[in-house]
Amino acid sequence: MELYHVEMLSAALFAIGIYGVLARRNAVMILMSIELVLNAVNINAVAYAAFLDPGRLVGQVITIFVITVAAAEVGLAMAIILRLYRTRATANVDEADSMKW
Amino acid sequence: MDASAVAFTFLAVLILGGALGVVTTRNVAHAALFLLLSLASISGIFILLVAEFLALVQILIYGGAITIVLLFALMLTRAEEFSNVRDNPQWAVAAVAALSIFGVLGGVILNNKLDTQELAGPSLEELGTELFTNWVVPFEIASLVLLVALIGAIILARASDVEESQDAGLASSSRTDTDGQSREGRS
Amino acid sequence: MMEYAWLIPVMPAIAFFFLATAGRRLPNWSAIAATGTMAAGFIIFWFVLADWLSMESLPAVKAFGFSIDWMKAGGSTFTWGMVIDPISLVMLGLVTAAALGIQIYTWSYMAHEPRFTWFFAVHSLFAAAMLTLVMADNLLLLYIAWELVGICSYLLIGFFYERRSAAEAAKKAFITTRIGDVGLLIGILLLFAKTGTFELSAIFALVENGGLSDTVITAAAVLFFLGAIGKSAQFPLHVWLPDAMEGPTPVSALVHSATMVVAGVYLVARMFPFYEHSESAALMVTLIGAFTAIGAAAIALVVTDIKRILAYSTLTDLGFMMFALGAGSVTAGMFHLLVHGFSKAILFLAAGSISHGSGQTDIRQMGGLWRKMPITAVIFGIGALSLGGIPPFGGFFSKDEVITAVFDGRGLFFMSIALLIGFMKALYMGRVFFAVFFGKLKPENEDAHESPVVMLAPMLVFAFLALTIGFVALNYTDAYQGFGYFVFAGEHQEAFHLNKGIAIGSIALAVSGFILTWLAYVQGSLKTEPIIRRFSGVHRVLINKYYVDEVYQWVIDKVVLVFGRFIAFFDRAFINDIGVNGTGAIATTTGRLMRYVQSGKLYTYAMGMVVGFLGLALAWWVS
Repeated sequence: MELYHVEMLSAALFAIGIYGVLARRNAVMILMSIELVLNAVNINAVAYAAFLDPGRLVGQVITIFVITVAAAEVGLAMAIILRLYRTRATANVDEADSMKW
Repeated sequence: MDASAVAFTFLAVLILGGALGVVTTRNVAHAALFLLLSLASISGIFILLVAEFLALVQILIYGGAITIVLLFALMLTRAEEFSNVRDNPQWAVAAVAALSIFGVLGGVILNNKLDTQELAGPSLEELGTELFTNWVVPFEIASLVLLVALIGAIILARASDVEESQDAGLASSSRTDTDGQSREGRS
Repeated sequence: MMEYAWLIPVMPAIAFFFLATAGRRLPNWSAIAATGTMAAGFIIFWFVLADWLSMESLPAVKAFGFSIDWMKAGGSTFTWGMVIDPISLVMLGLVTAAALGIQIYTWSYMAHEPRFTWFFAVHSLFAAAMLTLVMADNLLLLYIAWELVGICSYLLIGFFYERRSAAEAAKKAFITTRIGDVGLLIGILLLFAKTGTFELSAIFALVENGGLSDTVITAAAVLFFLGAIGKSAQFPLHVWLPDAMEGPTPVSALVHSATMVVAGVYLVARMFPFYEHSESAALMVTLIGAFTAIGAAAIALVVTDIKRILAYSTLTDLGFMMFALGAGSVTAGMFHLLVHGFSKAILFLAAGSISHGSGQTDIRQMGGLWRKMPITAVIFGIGALSLGGIPPFGGFFSKDEVITAVFDGRGLFFMSIALLIGFMKALYMGRVFFAVFFGKLKPENEDAHESPVVMLAPMLVFAFLALTIGFVALNYTDAYQGFGYFVFAGEHQEAFHLNKGIAIGSIALAVSGFILTWLAYVQGSLKTEPIIRRFSGVHRVLINKYYVDEVYQWVIDKVVLVFGRFIAFFDRAFINDIGVNGTGAIATTTGRLMRYVQSGKLYTYAMGMVVGFLGLALAWWVS
């Protein structure tokens, strides 16, 4: 297992996550795809900590912060989706399109 | 092929398979379970990268908390539609874009192989000391972010209950508006 | 005490801010606040002066300065700084004393004005600006104060802005002086571009040691003099001063004696090293000064409005000061400025007292008023005799100093011009004095009355000063050694010296001027009508002020406005319709087309981000 193997895994996960964000209609699905993207970044950071950082710490610390922020983001996003569902009776992002011309 | 390489290949297959499942399945509940598979496998990758603490955190927070929150959200919203969600019309373009991104990233990675050191990781004690000395201010800020997000989530979710009666008329009128527009847009 | 000199301008500035903010709620405090702070400044001035005079080895010390950093920009440091030297001390004394006396006079004169508080507020700001101007140690601060003086004069001349003529006069004063101000600004920027500093001392050092080329020095000197022409109402920008009479009389007194108009003279005196090193610029100052003096004196001989006579006499004296400065004598110029300040202040205050007491402004409607207002008559007489140049009044000493300086610096021809100006000064001063106070009392002036004590007291003080100020020229103690030792720049310091021939000649001319007017207006043996008939063409030209205003009006109507209409058309057709509206139309059209990009669908925006990222990657790849 070399560093670039892990990096390729991370890149693949990132691309799949991006595909999900772009292709999905349901807000919950988009949220899951975003989690995939964040995890791709986490894998990368931890791999750099293990393979490159002499102190082997910074990547892990950053990963902890990413996880924290992801948790906050999921909580807020869920609240927003619930609210959207209550006012529009839908969880599809293309039906909440009143911010257009 | 040593043991770690075997484990890495196995985990990578699980992760990417789970991820692909998340983005392709039409059933939201299945997607959540695929996500759980993918995220749990990532914790295995963390163990391989000598980050045991993060592996635990990954399982606890992603596997335990976030996936459960997602499932809760599914339960509270319109569940009958979720067994068969449709993708939006640009999914083909999205696939091309995602592949391009993978191409760009992969090209950069394979063209710039970095000199690596012996694989190793910090002890849990070192990580804790670092986190609460050099990183204590960002750590506290992260705590605040969590707190604010929590309060925000509560307010967003509660406000609808309180204003339900007032919102009812407004919401219905705006819904008809939206419906009218979207019909126009489709035709 | 000298390091507290900055308090002098700060004092009236405090009064201004107090009156401008809280004055409306405390109307009864306005006069007290303004006069109190002015008096405080006046007292501080005396401490500063005493401190200066007690300094050892006076002639060696040329200035005492201090400054604080204001801001830094692009490697240049700008400072707020004060400099105390004899020139600024003379100006400080004149401005604080004149402003204080005039404010006291105003208590009574303006008592029934609804905008009493506003008057005191602006008056205080005016004094503060002038005091800052004379103490500024760098050109930037000087320019700020210079413009503050300009805007205050605009506000005060237009004080009765309900009257159209007053509003017009205020605009005229402001716009005319602005023309000169532009020259001053260009001069300052030129010096900054060449030297990189606004500090006067640094610039003067460069001038002295040849760090600036002669061209730059001459250009700067001429540009600075352009500013002085505007502010000090020299030809051809003199037109605003006679119209400035539209302001209340205390304003005229202040503008004419101590603040506005002497700012230009002060500027030339302050920048004197430039004129020392540029003979052509100095010659220009001399010529314009002499020309203005003679031209204005001739008008003063024919106009009949008392305040207009005084206004043209101010023009004459300002020209006279410029004449002296151009001849190379700061001492004479500053001395005449000081004496003229006090003399002109009492003349204006007395003129205000006359019109206040009798309701007349035309001297043909006056006559014999000394019976009704004897104290005003005495005060006016002192002012008139002083400016007419009769010993031992102050004006005699300063006029003689100027004539001597002109003789030393420019020779016999210019000295005879100076003597001629002195004679004309005596003529018009005698004319206005005799015509107003002697002769038969007109029946419509039977109920004229003397002014109240509050108005008379400051006039009496100024009259005393005008009577005695000339003696500061003389040498009393070793530390002081006379005005010539005290104020000097460029020329070597020297005690006051009376050139006997010149003095006798000028006294003879002055006395004969007064006798001629006495004959014409009191005794009646010399008739003026035949002279007017004989030179009716000249008289008409003079009455119409050489048609300068008409020429300017013609230029504005036929050239400026026509050009302006062309510019307006250009602005309307090209700038507005094509430039501004066209740009707007492009933006609107683009927006109308572009808004269809805004689908409102989240995944389109996300796609936009991804495509943008790919585009960046591509660009990086290609490069």
